[in-house]
Parts: sequence; structure tokens; C-alpha cells
Amino acid sequence: MKRNDLYSKEEKFFQDKNKIYSAQSVKQIVYSTDVRDFGRVTKSVPCQDACPAKTNIPGYIRAIFEKRYGRAYELNRSANILPGVLGRICSRPCEFACRHGEPDNGVSVGICHLKRSCAELKPGSHRIIEGLYAPTQKKVAVIGSGPAGLAAAHDLSILGHKVVIFEELEKPGGMLMYGIPEFRLPRDLLMLEIKNILRLGIQLKTNKAIGVDISLDQLKNEYDAVVVATGCVRPRKFNIVGEDLENIYNGLDFMKAVNEGQKPLVGDKVIVIGAGFTAVDCARSAIRLGAVDVSINIRKTIEYMRIDETEKYEAQLEGIKTVSLLQPSKIIGNGNKVTAVEFQRTRMEKTATPPYRVSIPIENSQFLVPADSVIAAIGQTPDKTVVSKDLDGLDGVFAAGDFATGSSDVISAIASGRECAKNIDEYLIGEKRKQTVVRLENHETTDRQRSYDFIGKVEMNTIDMEKRLSKATNEVETGYNDDQIHEEAKRCYLCNLEYEIDPLICIYCSACIDVAPKDCIKMIESVPVNPDGTYGKYEETDDWNKVVSIAIDTAKCIRCGQCLAVCPMDCISVTKTELIEIDT
Amino acid sequence: MPFNDHYVIIGNGPAGNHAAITLRKKDKEARITIISDECVPYYYKPKLTDFIADEIPKEDLMVDFLDSYKAKDIRIRLGQEVERIDMESKTLFLQHMENINYSKLIIASGSRARVLPPMFCYANHLKFVTSYTDVMEIKEEIKKANDFFIFGGDLVGFKFLRLLNSMGKTVTILIYPNAFWPYNLTDDMLTQITESLSKFNADIIVKDDIQSIDRQNGSYTVKTRKGIEKIVDMVFSFNGLRPNVEFAKGSGIDMDHGILVNEYLKTNVGSIYACGSCAQIYNPTIKSYTTSIGWPNAVVQGEVAAFNLLGDHKIIESVGRKYFDLEGVKIKTTWWEEIEKDTDE
Repeated sequence: MKRNDLYSKEEKFFQDKNKIYSAQSVKQIVYSTDVRDFGRVTKSVPCQDACPAKTNIPGYIRAIFEKRYGRAYELNRSANILPGVLGRICSRPCEFACRHGEPDNGVSVGICHLKRSCAELKPGSHRIIEGLYAPTQKKVAVIGSGPAGLAAAHDLSILGHKVVIFEELEKPGGMLMYGIPEFRLPRDLLMLEIKNILRLGIQLKTNKAIGVDISLDQLKNEYDAVVVATGCVRPRKFNIVGEDLENIYNGLDFMKAVNEGQKPLVGDKVIVIGAGFTAVDCARSAIRLGAVDVSINIRKTIEYMRIDETEKYEAQLEGIKTVSLLQPSKIIGNGNKVTAVEFQRTRMEKTATPPYRVSIPIENSQFLVPADSVIAAIGQTPDKTVVSKDLDGLDGVFAAGDFATGSSDVISAIASGRECAKNIDEYLIGEKRKQTVVRLENHETTDRQRSYDFIGKVEMNTIDMEKRLSKATNEVETGYNDDQIHEEAKRCYLCNLEYEIDPLICIYCSACIDVAPKDCIKMIESVPVNPDGTYGKYEETDDWNKVVSIAIDTAKCIRCGQCLAVCPMDCISVTKTELIEIDT
Repeated sequence: MPFNDHYVIIGNGPAGNHAAITLRKKDKEARITIISDECVPYYYKPKLTDFIADEIPKEDLMVDFLDSYKAKDIRIRLGQEVERIDMESKTLFLQHMENINYSKLIIASGSRARVLPPMFCYANHLKFVTSYTDVMEIKEEIKKANDFFIFGGDLVGFKFLRLLNSMGKTVTILIYPNAFWPYNLTDDMLTQITESLSKFNADIIVKDDIQSIDRQNGSYTVKTRKGIEKIVDMVFSFNGLRPNVEFAKGSGIDMDHGILVNEYLKTNVGSIYACGSCAQIYNPTIKSYTTSIGWPNAVVQGEVAAFNLLGDHKIIESVGRKYFDLEGVKIKTTWWEEIEKDTDE
């Protein structure tokens, strides 16, 4: 099937709406809403699909390769409004999905490091691009200035609404400001990117607690819509004996105190309980507060920790031990002070439903571990004491971020804030003003060399232990330099370039199959299409009578370009696919 | 047992070899393959230091030669590294892009040298004595060198110190209290060890840490945090071992620091067993996990794993020395139990 036939339906769709893009005739660009094209992007570009904000990752990495750092920054910012921040502290779902990290392909591309570095290396004269809509005279109140609140405020402001953010604490940023240690996220950078958002004319009111300084009802009366983005701030409890002793901190309060410049008493031996980023942040902060023996204690095994390998490595480097397969059963104290934690051994067990592997406590397996302080970083839930009602019943009140979804990560909160802004805009204007389409553009080259596939991952530069401990706020990672960022950018397979064999021109010589380094080019009978538009498993055949096509499995293709190089018929085309937002 | 059973054993140490021999005794028909990333047949690792000093020839280091595998109808594949395991298809993927199918698998991949976090960035400058390959690369260099710096202080490290002393070399040793991770030696233990070492002609440093190692003109300048600076010919690290199980990550086998197995040495995957120092064994008596290092334990575990793989239900028990003697201090050789002084032994 020829691409022109395949997309004639979409072209007609746009022609009907009198929205023929001038570039189409020049660059052969198609804007598709066909579910199969969305499905192809989902399967072909795993990093973008894994990103909650759907960041155009191959697009910005290619811009980095071309040393267009400003363009890379803007491509990032169009999906997530805090590229410099996320380039440091993102949970990196994209890297877990990166095709370069699949078996036999090596190690995932350092996507997060690249994001950070384009934010740093963009020219000083860089111009931030905002596609502003005309003012609407509508007013929206956003409660909470964390990542979800900031993202919602930004997008609502872009759409022409007047936005006011109400922040309970002294400074904006929410978890970013108070939950993440400065040695991972410098505050001047955070404030810079927040100011870039506020510059749109967003009013920020700090030290304004809802339920104390102003009520939700007041906001509802004064504004056309209200966004609740107060996050998850209520710590989970162990519900075990001794939990209320002194020197037992919950992870978030501990980090808040540290980030406010306080020095919580930790003593020599610190037991951190938890398996996520906050647990590691607490442990690393405890080291900087002078603790000698710090351990992170987890119920399952290290493999199941909800952090990336870099964090595991850095924690180990700083002398933090990870003790697995145990859970606290009691906290022991002398007077009011904690002296030890009683742990119970656990074992792993299979379950039929997610998460499939769970930890089960082993009876009568308790033992004591001495401690001067305990930090419980086992997660948070939304505080619904102030905004306690079911928001579904409140007209004009919307929820975003962790408040809506439960505890997640920063990039998910940003995605949620942006989605919320779209819903509010539709509520205020009465129609959808934006839609996501798949932009398809013929691409003449592969943009890659085969040798790039063998480049090892460029490790992030860091400061030594002496500098880390000399000042607790010293940023540990120092970024890539110009050469390093360029080298790392080469490693990206550019999965947004989709290779396709035209069966009407193909002479079935199999030359492409012979040179393919992966099992990615197949002789097939058929390809099932799933309801979500993704392709199912290619049905292969060795029987020439049944072969209907030689096809490239884009989910396995590593975009090495070998097939293009050997094809005698020039029947392999390259199409650049991108998810973009356009006006409806 | 069907003829086409293929038992594959990853690892060619005492656990792997005794597993293979037991399997062969019990099943004359099955195919048995041992895969080893080393290029020599089964050898006696504790004698490596004697081999360095030329106290024994290579022949005495060997436990088995290639002919003996053939005699037992055990296929040995040397110098071949397993990269990953696919449990669904029961396939091992080797580094040189070859795949091997198994019907049942025993992981006996042993351990490799543990590098302490402060030394991560200087790992390229460090030498180890954990394998025949390590030793062959440095044997002649050791003879020519005069000045040595040793980080750590595990059993092999102290044996190596004695060896260097007997060879008339100049040695500086920085003892890390956490050489037997995750334990920290107490001050009393450290004092006892230091006193015991004073009989050797060596500079002993305690309660200090690495600052840097720089290489210039074939020598190494080692600096410590407390300002001690030494220019030496070779730098060694002896800080215990860590299980060699990277290839099993992401396969679906439960892992912690090593491969998690029950008292029958069975993993969470029915057809896969693990034994030797790569296994972290659940001990129902103490309701905890233990890892045993040492030759006798590896031998017994290899045999038990093989029996159980064939349908038996033998429970593993530690044998031999339960504690290591670290220059007069008894140290229990499991990861999960506390260090105890065994005054009875």
C-alpha cells in the first residue's frame, strides 16, 4: 500500500475543513488523525510513549546533535515546562523504555542528561517561544504551585485566561522546592524556570493557605474556575508500636526541614525506610548532616526500588547501605528517644495480578537494629481536610497532579496539570481549541551512521566526595560539556524516523534481510491491527507462496540504515513521525 | 528421564563441578554442559597465592584437566560469558551472540572482587587476586615490583600480605573495617588484627580512607585522607567478594545481592537452581538469608542443587568452618548474620 493512498483520507479530512497547510505541497507533510498512525507512534517511539508528557525525545536529541540547543530546549518546553529541572530530577520512564537499553542493544540513551544539558548549553540570547491566544477575560485560581499547578497555570495563561496561583508556603515550587534536596536541584535554576512561567502575567500569591486565608467557596465565587493541585503531603504511617518517639521523621518533613536550612538531629546511625527517591534523598541528606552509618531498608529487593540506577550508584558511592527483604515491626525507645528498630524478615512471593511479586513477612523472624534516628519515607497521600469534598460535584472545580492521581512523579504531575488546563479551557470556552495529530513528513536520510550504535554511554560528570560533604547544597552532577552532549546525542536511534518497504516496488531480493543486524525485517503473511491502532505480532512465513510483503518491524528496528544502503530498488522510504498539537 | 534433557551449569568452580558430577552419576543419558567465563579448567582458587609465589606449579593448581570432563561426558565451554537468561524459551544468550537452550539450569557463577564505593573511580588502577586470569596478568609484574599498597583486609588480602612479606617486598596496608561487607569491624577487632599483623614488615594504616590514586611513569601515587602519601609499583584491593550474577538481572529470577533460593536451593523459577557463593539461601531455622563462601560449602551446595534438580528434596546445611579466622578474630561468613567472636573454636 502506498503512503499516498493510505493517507488520502486524512488529507481529505483537512481539505474539508479548509485547513490545507501550505507546507504540505512543498515538503509532503501529512497531518493524520488515523488511529493507526497514533498506534505506530506508540509502538515505534517507546521513549515518547513512556513519557507522561509525551515529550518529543528523538526530536530534541536530533536538535542537540545539530547543536541547536535552543531548539532542543523549546521542543522540551513545549511538552514539559521545566526542562532544566526535569533534566536533573526526572524519574526517567523514557530511559526505561529506550530501545537502546533492550537486550543486546547496550545501554539506554542518557535522555535526562541530554535534556539538562541542552537547557544549560542553549545560547544566552535564547528566546522562549510561547504561542499566546487572545485574552478571554476568564479568571482561574490555581491552588498549589508545585509542578502540576505551575503546568496548569502556564497552559491556562497561554490560552488567554487570567491566572492567580495560591501557595500555602513561603516559596513556590511545592515538592520541587521543599521535597528535593538542593544538591540534586539548585534553587536558582528552579526559580529561573518558575519565573519563566510567571512572566506570562500569572499572579503568584504565597503564604496563602486555603481554608485559613481564603476558602474554596470564596475562590469559586471570585473565579470562573479553580484548580486544586495541592499534591500529596500527608505522610503514610507504619501503624506500628513506637512510631511517635522522638527522632523519628517522616521523609517529606525531614526534607522540608533540610531544604529550609534547618539541621534535624540525626545522630550517627540513621535508618531510612522506603524504596523511592525520597528515601534516597533523605539518606544522602543524612550523610551531609554528619551521620556515619546510614542504611536504606526495603521490603522487597534492590531490583524493585523505584529509583534509577544513577541514584542507586550515587547512594552507594556516598557510603549508604541498602538492606533488603525486611520490614519494621516495632520501634524501640529509651524514654522518648528511639534506640532501635525491630525488623521482620520478608520473602518474595508471586501474585496473579500486578505487581506480580510481593513481599510477605516471615513469622517470628524479628531482630533488632540499633538506631539514633529513623526516617520513614514510605509515601504520601493527598490532604483532603481542606478540600475534602468530592470535586466531581463541584462545578468549575478541577483537580490536577498528585492530588488527583495519588503520589506519582514530577513529569506525571506536569502532564496532569497540562491535561487539566485543556479540560478547563473547554469548560470555559465551550469547545476544544487544540487537538493532537500525527505529523508525517518524508525524510530523505537516516540521519545516522551505523558506527553510532557502538558508542558507549557518556557518564555524567560529578563532584568528588570532599566537595559533596564540604557544603551540603553543592550540586553533585555538573552536566555534560559540548563534546559529551554531542557524543551522547549520536547514540539515539531516532525512532521517530520510520522505515517502510514499498511492496509494489520491492523485488524480494532479501538483501535487506541479509544485512539487518536485528531480527527486524520479515517476510510476512499479514499483520494484525489492534483496536488502539498498534500493530500486533507480525505473522511470518517461509513459504514464498504466502508472502505478501517484506516488512520492517518498527518495534525492533534500530534505525541503523543498513537496509536502505543495500536496497537495489530504492524501495525503502523514511518518514518522520511526530505528535504535535494544532488548533482545531 | 527423556534423552533430550540438557542440564546447563553456569560456573566452573567447586559448586558447578560437583553439581555436574552428581548429575552425571544420577543421569547417564542427559546432556550436561558447564559454561565458564574463564579460559582454564577447574582449578583450586585458594592456592592462587601459592601459585603467584611459584610454590606450586600450574599442574598442582588444577583440580581437573580437560580430559576428565570428556571422561565424565560433560561438555565444558571455556571463555564463554553468559549475558542474559530468557526463562520463557529456556535460553542462555552468550556474549559472542550464540544461544544455548537448557531444560534445567544451575547457576553456580561464584563471586568476583568487590570494589568499595570510595574506590569506584580508581578501579582501573586496582589489581585483584580472584581468578586465574587475574593472576596470570600480574604474576610476573609482582615479582619485578618492590613497593605495594593494599586496600582492604579480607582473608585473601592477609594471605597475600604474608606472601609479599616472604618475598621481601615493601608493603603498606590500609585496613577497611567494612572489608567484609556489610559488617563493620569493631575497634576491638581492629586493634586485635593490627597487633597480629605487626609481626609482618608492613606499614599498617587504620581509620583512614583513600584520597586518590594517580598513575605516573609506571608508578602509582596513593594518597589517603589523613595525608599519607606513598609511591608504589602496584595497588591491590582485597575487600571481600560480591556475587557474580549480573547476567540474571531482569530475567525474572528473584535476586537481591545474590540469587535468592530456598533451603532446597531452588529459585522462584521451577527449572532453575543456584548454589555456591552466588546464592543467597533462605534458612528456615534462623528465618533469614545466608550466603556461604568457602570451598566445602560450595561442594555440598553443588551436590544438593543437583539432587534437587533431579527431584530430590535435600535441605542444605553449612559444612566445614562456620567462621573465618581474620588474623585472630572469628568472622562468620554469611552476609546476613552478625559478626560474632567464636571463642570456642
